[in-house]
Amino acid sequence: VPGVPGAKQSLPQLRDFLLVYNRLTELCFRHCVSNLNYRLLTGQEEQCLEGCAGKLVHANHRLVRAYVATMPSVLQRRAQQLQEPPPGASPHPPAAPGPGQ
Amino acid sequence: MDPLRAQQLAAELEVDMMADMYNRMTQACHRKCVPPHYKDAELSKGESICLDRCVAKYLEVHERMGKKLTELSLQDEELLKRMQQSTGTA
Repeated sequence: VPGVPGAKQSLPQLRDFLLVYNRLTELCFRHCVSNLNYRLLTGQEEQCLEGCAGKLVHANHRLVRAYVATMPSVLQRRAQQLQEPPPGASPHPPAAPGPGQ
Repeated sequence: MDPLRAQQLAAELEVDMMADMYNRMTQACHRKCVPPHYKDAELSKGESICLDRCVAKYLEVHERMGKKLTELSLQDEELLKRMQQSTGTA
């Protein structure tokens, strides 16, 4: 894919990048392009697209930052829960048989 | 991974993504150009021309978004690195 820095990275990341790209195109097209009397983009549409692209990319950055800040503690909690015994099970070994048995 | 295999997978991925783009485009243009009045099966002239222009515009938008994304994705790479480091998936 020419001009895509992601092409040097691993395939899953490239796939994510390309999906973001397609979603970006769809979203900004739907929001900004309303004048289908012309084949070419109008000045207003171009301006809207410029803003839309920038805004979505920056929103994506922000989301990644927030995810990065929150996810480690979520994973840690999950790991802790997996190590704890399941609810209802006795944490102590079963009692030895009493006298008379 | 064998570099030739990686190249092949990347090419397949690009084809998949083009198909994905095509599907989104047809959906968007149908929504914009073909109102849900299905009395007549034939497309009106207005609807036909609208679809032609819509495709042209969608592809133009796709190209511009690609340029913008490439321009801004240098920042993305930095963020991805940080993401990998903090979740330990590097």
